[in-house]
Amino acid sequence: MAKIGVDVGGTFTDLILEVGSGASRKVFVHKVPSTPGDQSEGVVTGVVELCKIGGIKPSDLKLIVHGTTIATNTVLEYDGAEVGMLTTRGFRDILHMARHKRPQNFSMQFDVPWQSKPLVKRRNRIPITERILPPTGEIVTPLDEHEVREAATLLKAQGVEAVIVCFLFSFLNHAHEKRAKAIVKETLPGLYVEASHEVVDVIREYERFSTTAMNAFVGPRVGRYLKRLESTLRGQGIGAQIRVMQSNGGVTTLENAAEHAVTILMSGPAGGVIGGRWAGLMSGESNTITVDIGGTSADISVIPEGRLRVMNPRDTQVNGYPVLAPMLDIDTIGAGGGSIAYVDEGGAFRVGPRSAGAAPGPACYGRGGVEPTVTDAQVVLGRLDPEHFLGGGVKIDPALARKAIETQLCPKLGVSVTEAALGIIRVVNSNMALSIRANSVAKGVDPRRYALMPFGGAGPLHGAALAKTVSAKEVIVPPAPGIQAAIGLLATDMQYEFTGASLCVLTKADQTALDRVNKRLDELTTQASAALEADDVPAAAHRFVRIAECRYVGQGFELRAEMPAARLTLESRKTVLDNFHKEHRQVYGHAFEDQDVELITLRVVARVPEEPVVWPTLGTAANADPKGAWLYARRTIFDDGTTHETPRFARGKLLAGHIIDGPAIVVQTDSTTLIPPGWTGNIHQSGNLHIRERA
Amino acid sequence: MTRNNIDPITLQVIGGALDTVAKEMGHVLYRMSYSSIIRESQDLGAGLFDKNFNTLCESDSTPMHIGSIPAYLRGIEKTLHDPWREGDVVLHNHPYYGASHSPDIAVISPVFHEGELIGFAGNTAHHVDIGAATPGLIIDVPDVYAEGMLFKGIKLYEEGKLNKAMWQFIETNTRVPSLVMGDLEAQVASARLGVRRFKELLGEYGKETVEQATRQLMDYSETMLRKRIAEIPDGEYRAEGFLDDDGRTRNKPLPVKVTVRIKGDNAEVDLTGSSPQVPTAFNVPFEGSTKVACYFAFRALLLDTATTEEYVPQNEGSFRPISVIAPLGSIFNPIFPAAAEARFGQVQRIVDLIIKALAPVIPEKVVAGSSATLSFAAYSGVKPSGDYWVFLEVNEGAYGGRPHSDGPDSIDELMRNTRNNPVEDLAMHLPLICDRYELRDDVSSGAGKFRGGLGVVKVQRFLSKGSMTHECDRHDDAPWGFLGGHAGAGGKVETFNVAKPGAITSMPAKFSGLQADVGDCIAIYSPNGGGYGDPLERTPATVRDDVLDGFCTRDYARDAYGVVLTDKRVVDEVATAARRKEMRKTAA
Repeated sequence: MAKIGVDVGGTFTDLILEVGSGASRKVFVHKVPSTPGDQSEGVVTGVVELCKIGGIKPSDLKLIVHGTTIATNTVLEYDGAEVGMLTTRGFRDILHMARHKRPQNFSMQFDVPWQSKPLVKRRNRIPITERILPPTGEIVTPLDEHEVREAATLLKAQGVEAVIVCFLFSFLNHAHEKRAKAIVKETLPGLYVEASHEVVDVIREYERFSTTAMNAFVGPRVGRYLKRLESTLRGQGIGAQIRVMQSNGGVTTLENAAEHAVTILMSGPAGGVIGGRWAGLMSGESNTITVDIGGTSADISVIPEGRLRVMNPRDTQVNGYPVLAPMLDIDTIGAGGGSIAYVDEGGAFRVGPRSAGAAPGPACYGRGGVEPTVTDAQVVLGRLDPEHFLGGGVKIDPALARKAIETQLCPKLGVSVTEAALGIIRVVNSNMALSIRANSVAKGVDPRRYALMPFGGAGPLHGAALAKTVSAKEVIVPPAPGIQAAIGLLATDMQYEFTGASLCVLTKADQTALDRVNKRLDELTTQASAALEADDVPAAAHRFVRIAECRYVGQGFELRAEMPAARLTLESRKTVLDNFHKEHRQVYGHAFEDQDVELITLRVVARVPEEPVVWPTLGTAANADPKGAWLYARRTIFDDGTTHETPRFARGKLLAGHIIDGPAIVVQTDSTTLIPPGWTGNIHQSGNLHIRERA
Repeated sequence: MTRNNIDPITLQVIGGALDTVAKEMGHVLYRMSYSSIIRESQDLGAGLFDKNFNTLCESDSTPMHIGSIPAYLRGIEKTLHDPWREGDVVLHNHPYYGASHSPDIAVISPVFHEGELIGFAGNTAHHVDIGAATPGLIIDVPDVYAEGMLFKGIKLYEEGKLNKAMWQFIETNTRVPSLVMGDLEAQVASARLGVRRFKELLGEYGKETVEQATRQLMDYSETMLRKRIAEIPDGEYRAEGFLDDDGRTRNKPLPVKVTVRIKGDNAEVDLTGSSPQVPTAFNVPFEGSTKVACYFAFRALLLDTATTEEYVPQNEGSFRPISVIAPLGSIFNPIFPAAAEARFGQVQRIVDLIIKALAPVIPEKVVAGSSATLSFAAYSGVKPSGDYWVFLEVNEGAYGGRPHSDGPDSIDELMRNTRNNPVEDLAMHLPLICDRYELRDDVSSGAGKFRGGLGVVKVQRFLSKGSMTHECDRHDDAPWGFLGGHAGAGGKVETFNVAKPGAITSMPAKFSGLQADVGDCIAIYSPNGGGYGDPLERTPATVRDDVLDGFCTRDYARDAYGVVLTDKRVVDEVATAARRKEMRKTAA
């Protein structure tokens, strides 16, 4: 079976191909320039080229898994659909007011994205007479169907491409939204029309409406893109199934991705995290902290016991707009190879978040950049060799790197070029370490039980220093750190999530109340089964995880508690309560076990396990000495300020069992790994490079 | 740089660690807490302080709390009954001993390192009910004793051991113990977390280095602010406005006068000439509120995070260049035992008037008049079980127009930055239902090249009998326009019963203990912001967009902007040119 993972990044589109089965499996990787105008061009070029490299016909491909930034870019570029909205009379501006909190405290000139760049313009938000009341969902004012028809006609005249129906309290009673949607569809056949309870059936109007609006805003463009991609691939004779990576780390079908475009907003970074988990497991390590360092930013994620962590729905947002779609818990900070180092007017030494980006890029690229970056510091310290940088694809000039630091930093800091370069590395590492701590220690995770996994082109240069600062037990550098996100695409499961509001004080509920919860769970499970069946997954392969999002009565933020597989009973609810208390203690360091617990939202996750890609195992070395991979030695300065004549080894020639004592540098096409003095690298059979500080 | 300075790199590392600690403390506090005023509105502050009460770092939550804790610490110093010991947790909220106002209870723990007191970790959070004269909020009360429980340096934990009698006392004296006690637990957890993190930092870098780093970080923030102050021409800048009334004596406006003196890189705010203190709770604690407002104004104007690339850490340094004068016995510096709980509207006006005073010399950095008030509503009632329910709601305002953009609509402005309560969540849990929540459409916002923001209208309806207190202002003194921009509009409050929506009673901004029947509705309209720049400079296409979006009417477009739209709502270029010419002639 031949399958391809293809991940589109800002500069490059990364691809991995796996062919064959069983022991005869082979893996091929490839990189082509991204085509920002239409991502699908780069994708198709890459796929066709990679098939050639792998010696297969494109028609032999069975599966293509795609990580895409199309949905995110639609938001960042504010280039989505013109959306119309029907909403409850008296509440026309929920999307405009958001949660009435401004994005910055100490500012007068701040931007408010949901007002300056609304997902639905006010002229397209039409109030409709109707009223559903809590807590039962009783209809006190019937839907004015005449108003709905008039609104639809008006929206058509105003040229909208999509219409959403967002009524208050629809999570208690779908009737009005359903009816209004039917009328709009009838009045405006062929238009994209969706009701808020269909997109996300949960309490809290702003977040539900915003998610619905976002889905309509990005949906049409995402749909067109995926359709174009599909037809171009088909045009190349490629009949493979096509899947898209979602923000939650699971893959889904093209149809589902187009219909629920909000679920693929964080498609890009999710691949890397999955790839990180996959690589850790190859060495039997399930506790991993992944650090994906690119040009402008670093994505940090913590994977405890092989479980991908999902962000609290209260925190999931894209560019300032809340989106209630499950997303992996990934923290992005402005620290990467292109981060600029400077001394500000108050005398503070800073590295990032400002970045030289791809253009002009670091000073050493010689493309007009004059400000020193992290990459320039690495070059000055002798850690990035010109002949190996990006496989020699980008010319770098150490003299320019040196000059940038010498002129821009040294006079202001009163230190030597080397000291300034070391300072840049120390500050950027410190910024990343703080973020790792905020995502581990601060959330009850003890990094001493974790391996730190650096990837992305720049990651493995920082791995050892970060592991030391956060006290991680070791560093694992995966075999192909530069294309980790693409690998992740071939290492995950199919996943569908369905959510529904179901408010109930669990601690006080009788069996009748619990049966209402059971009924809701059944409905969600039925929806999930239907989605799997539509995707040709046999019933025997269906797996469901059921989650209760709970809080103590009176609190405002829910946490996730896993539910038992069987029906919820007065006895089995204890499991849910225990799981909730445990989660609360884990997250906040304290649980209120004598307090009442309220269920707010149910979530059913359907998962279909897929077989992950198998990386070819390495041959076994005759002895520990890696001299066969030795390239040359060169002067290199390490974080402790010491200078060593440091050997370079070719990653591709290292075999299982080789041991590299630091100081050493391991080079490969798109990444460089630093093994500092006092540290040792061990080559694992899987291809992973394990680095530990010598005792 | 002196020789003893630590290197800029270590400094940056320690600075980052301090910010992370403050963020973490704030996060634990609002995520764990029970009352909506803390968990949704984030009416809280948290941070670390040195032994001289300097702020080392503070969570970026609500500006009103930022910078207020040092005054609490000074108040605790004066009142603590025996020395600080490891494991102590102290409560403090006395408005005449540094508290911002009495509902903002501080929870403070000392930080010891090798047996020596190094500093403090602590937080403040707004409590729903501390047993004051009326549930939740107070306006028309005789003195500070009507504010409810007052704590002056009270140890809730002594050396780690809970004072159960004190715990029980608090539980007995609030109307909503289930909320207040849970919130206090969250505060204690946050303070303890801060202690732990501070100690880790001291353990890692040593006391000398950490203390030197914090001194340098404070100097840095101070330097950054001083540089911006120095750019303002030396001189005296004045502005004035007035508050509606004190909540008891109607139709007697209270003047607010602000004089800003810039001298070199120092700024002084002098409130002399403002109203004498009032006999109700509508006074402002000087240390914990008046001064904090002045610090905020300069920081937000001069180190605007949207236009300043550098992150300037939130610490004591940014307070140092600012001095504040308010005569004793004035509304901004009342004499004990005057009540001083309802103070937010007044501090908002200090900020608004500092902006107005400085606008002519820094026009590129200011906003025209914002709502600069607070609609703080306390809804309450007694449940069939006999327990109280109390709900505090902050209704947002709007900003004035700005040099390059319209004033944001319907948003928390200036000193406040809370989150609203979802209409759906509220109604599932309280006998109160929201009937309307949208932009105001009864009056326009201030016209300008960049228009003022629109305020909000919110209608809440009682589903069972209850009562309500409303702390608000600015019905009468409309937000100011700038550089030719028009003034905005004042706010208003109306009551009616849902059965007779036409029979409207107009209410003053402030009222105490209003009794509500089933079906009684309260409609709150917040002020609209003033415009910035000449309305005739707003492009006709933008004005047309305003009309299409219902931000103003077609008539208003013609009258205020000189833009004439046809019946099909397209710009009539000829008529617009003529109308604008005529308007310019009239103005000249």
